[in-house]
Amino acid sequence: MSNRVVLSDRPPRSDRPTPSPSPGGRRAPSSHRPASPRRILLNAAAVLFCLVWIFPVYWMVNTAFKPYGDILRPTPHFLPVPFSLANFTDAVSKPGFLTDLGNSLLLTLAVVLLAVGVAFFAAVGLTRFRFAGRRAYLVAVLVLQMVPLPALVIPVFLSLKSAHLLNSLLGLALTYVAVVLPFTIWTLRGFLHGIPVELEEAAMVDGANRMTVVRLVLLPLMAPGIIATSVFAFITAWNDYLFADVLMKDQGHQTLPVWLVSFSTSTGTDYGGLIAAATISALPVVVFFMLIQRRLVAGMTAGAVKD
Amino acid sequence: MAATREPRSLPYLLLLPATAVLALVLGYPLARLGVISFQDYGLRSLFTGRVGWAGPDNYLAVWRDPQLVPVLLRTAGFCAALVLGTLAIGLVVAMMMMRLGPRLRRAVTLCLIASWAMPPAAGTLVWQWLFQPVYGVANWALSRIGLFGDLTQHDWTTSPTSAFALVWLLVVWQSVPFVALTLYAGLSQIPRSYYEAAALDGAGGWTAFRVITLPFLRPILALVTILSVIWDFNVFTQIWILTQGGPNQGTTTLGIWSFTKAFSSNSFGQGAAVAVVSILLLLVLTLYYLRRLLRSGEEL
Amino acid sequence: MRSRSLAAAACGLSIALLTAACGSGGNAAPASASSKSLTVWLMDGDLTADSVKAVNAAFEQATGAKVTVQIQEWADINARISTALAQDNPPDVIDLGNTDVPLFAANGGLADLTADRADLTAGQQWLPGLVDPATVDGKLYAAPLFAGNRAVVYNKALWAKAGITAPPTTFAEFTQDLDALKASNPAPNFSAIYLPGQYWFAALQFIWDAGGQLATKDGSGKWTGQLESAAAQRGLTAWKDFQNAYSPAASRNVDIKNPDQDAMFAQGSAATVVDSTVNTILKDNPGMKDQIGTFAFPSVTQPGHSQPVFLGGSDLAVAAKSRNRQLALAYLKTAASPAIQTSAVVGTDHWTPVSTQLLDSAVSQLPPTSAAFLQAAHSSVGTPATAGWATVESDLSINQFFADVATGRKTPAQAAKDFDAHLDHALNAAS
Repeated sequence: MSNRVVLSDRPPRSDRPTPSPSPGGRRAPSSHRPASPRRILLNAAAVLFCLVWIFPVYWMVNTAFKPYGDILRPTPHFLPVPFSLANFTDAVSKPGFLTDLGNSLLLTLAVVLLAVGVAFFAAVGLTRFRFAGRRAYLVAVLVLQMVPLPALVIPVFLSLKSAHLLNSLLGLALTYVAVVLPFTIWTLRGFLHGIPVELEEAAMVDGANRMTVVRLVLLPLMAPGIIATSVFAFITAWNDYLFADVLMKDQGHQTLPVWLVSFSTSTGTDYGGLIAAATISALPVVVFFMLIQRRLVAGMTAGAVKD
Repeated sequence: MAATREPRSLPYLLLLPATAVLALVLGYPLARLGVISFQDYGLRSLFTGRVGWAGPDNYLAVWRDPQLVPVLLRTAGFCAALVLGTLAIGLVVAMMMMRLGPRLRRAVTLCLIASWAMPPAAGTLVWQWLFQPVYGVANWALSRIGLFGDLTQHDWTTSPTSAFALVWLLVVWQSVPFVALTLYAGLSQIPRSYYEAAALDGAGGWTAFRVITLPFLRPILALVTILSVIWDFNVFTQIWILTQGGPNQGTTTLGIWSFTKAFSSNSFGQGAAVAVVSILLLLVLTLYYLRRLLRSGEEL
Repeated sequence: MRSRSLAAAACGLSIALLTAACGSGGNAAPASASSKSLTVWLMDGDLTADSVKAVNAAFEQATGAKVTVQIQEWADINARISTALAQDNPPDVIDLGNTDVPLFAANGGLADLTADRADLTAGQQWLPGLVDPATVDGKLYAAPLFAGNRAVVYNKALWAKAGITAPPTTFAEFTQDLDALKASNPAPNFSAIYLPGQYWFAALQFIWDAGGQLATKDGSGKWTGQLESAAAQRGLTAWKDFQNAYSPAASRNVDIKNPDQDAMFAQGSAATVVDSTVNTILKDNPGMKDQIGTFAFPSVTQPGHSQPVFLGGSDLAVAAKSRNRQLALAYLKTAASPAIQTSAVVGTDHWTPVSTQLLDSAVSQLPPTSAAFLQAAHSSVGTPATAGWATVESDLSINQFFADVATGRKTPAQAAKDFDAHLDHALNAAS
């Protein structure tokens, strides 16, 4: 079963005990074929797709490296020549950057750990036991996912006010955990579903207690699912502006997206600084994604496949 | 089944942390939202804590608002356009990835991930930048192609249709990665032997797609569709930054409507009423899926 | 009973979450409760850092208290101020745009300062445009910090290149100059004047200039939108004709930020803009220091006069729930004092000072580019002094109204009819 976490360039594999072809037969059928008009067309389509999809990202980075005067030009320059780091130094030297960066990192880390931990317990409860209200619980969780978040700002504010959790990173972290929990529970639940119960039972027969089973059997098998949900939690906590802006009154408690908005002022927007700041803020997410991308794709199958 | 050996309280204990957080941070505010929708809740209530009951007034005001029907139709239509666009492109990309060699496949994956990882606010900003009149590179490129005349001075947010097109492109660009990668992961789990057997039986590409791919993908497609419906129905940031719901409220969806009622008019009661309506509407839209969920057996 | 460890873990997690939640409740108790410390929220771009330092030094010297200033960003500011004022430990002093004061005052968010009025004014006559919106039902809720208004800002070099040597004094001269600029600069992205369609501050000047008004209040306190009036329609049409003729088509549906008009001016692609300060342009391009000229926007209807301007600016208010009311009052008094107004607000930041007395005494201190702003300020108009006005600004309906006219999506008459209906509703709704 360990092949679930094997790094591979090939498409992720099914780990289900049901029809499982030999590893050699995993590659997509057409990749063996010699070049044909169809193949060329396919590759051309792929290249075109890549160009279109990456263009906005490329344009952001390209703009961020241009010196100030080169940004507003009716004729676009496709390479940042002359090259300048001024936008980045400007952005980073803007007050609050380090504080907000630290807050964002701390917050995101806490949210990922809490959300995945809490959702894991819930997912175990939902897949390994049958109890009254199980399906109703699942539906309730999905319904919570439907709530439009902007409409919840004031009610969440009032609730946290009653709980004396305003202006505290903990309050904000709990908010994000709640926001990502429905998706996280659903994904992990589906994932757990694909892991045969017999494995755990065998381990228990061998004398392992429940925690040991979780640690040694379930967690390794669920690594891709945990990664996929961590990414979701990461993105949500890292990118949210709405709640951070309203719930955190003191400047020392604000996060990177709030800092990002500070480039837009009443007298004008510092576009160079803003684009550089956006690049800086997107960077950790992109790097994180790149690092885990292979496992991520595997984890995305989650439990959605039910054969 | 392992469950037989466990104390009956164990599953509830396992659900306790999730339930506590969900109830406190989503459930309670959601209930409060429902209560506020029946209250005359404005800035004064926020400052002083004094609230008056409004009965059904907020809902009546929403019901009588001439904006209601256009907003509902717009929200549903826009959501449908987004879901269809995202799913169609996502599926095509996923199937394309299955047929690509490893290098190109990895390039496609990286491009997808880069656009997925971009913070929505930053992505929206770049969009504004790309389609800016006079200085936008998209306007420049379209003018260079020459098919549509000189578009350098064109402002895409001037008419509701082109403003929606702008938002559509942005949201699709941001949501295709999740859909494409999920569907690709699903496709890659279909045992190849199925296709080989189908080929032996003389089935063509389309038949194989219909008989093998679609049935196999159905659960993933259902999940991806339901999530897309939920997310696209509630699209907010992108519209708010790009058009603020204009021109002439031409891009005002339920989410924008609720937000402007609450925060621009400071009528949190009416904003809450619109939000409640939109949650109910979404429930109706997803009823089919939810019913199947509730009825189906052990698989869930 | 092997499952006990798992159950214990789940249980422990819940308890940890809850106790953390409760525990931090104690920590969240305000540190500002200690008597000698004041928290002040100032808006980004209002006072420069040097001026803030000067105000704080004077305040700390006078009271011996410590002051913490937090600079706030403009995006979604009303939502943030609303929630801040709703908390039990709000910031003590808040910097508000003058048109936003009624919203928070009428709803009980701000402290009533009527009893301290004499102490705060110290004998000065505050500018009506600043103090009127701060007065709700005869009670004073804020003290002015500074005023700002708009004037025409032009690039002397580009104007000279088009053969223009002196700034225009009449509207006819102004349009001739712009024609000359257009003729001498055929580049497609060149703007003789860049006047975005959503820039309602500038558009309102044409309406007031023609004798029109936004809205009027009748004896019973009910507001009625007046843009359908003949005078307002004349102003609206004059603005549309001017905007369409001299500002590029791409500017008809946009605001001043996107694209950034100051950046366009700083790069020389816009020869003229209407602006409230030249500081942003100089920040973008310090080399333009001697190249910027200013003049008050000439009246369309009365040759030799300038258009009435919208008097913007900022007021300082005290949160109703502030626990440091006396200190907060002392801060307001310091900021509005002639000494600070003269040295910091006018001297350092070149804003328009808050009283008529200072308006006269300050002119001599200002750089030549500021004279036009002060000249224009002599004829100023405010927006309707009602809590509902904030709705019109924050739902951007006023931006849409002018953009509808500029783009031709609606005729001036149709746009005015729709917007008047919105004004009738919004201005009478809140509070």
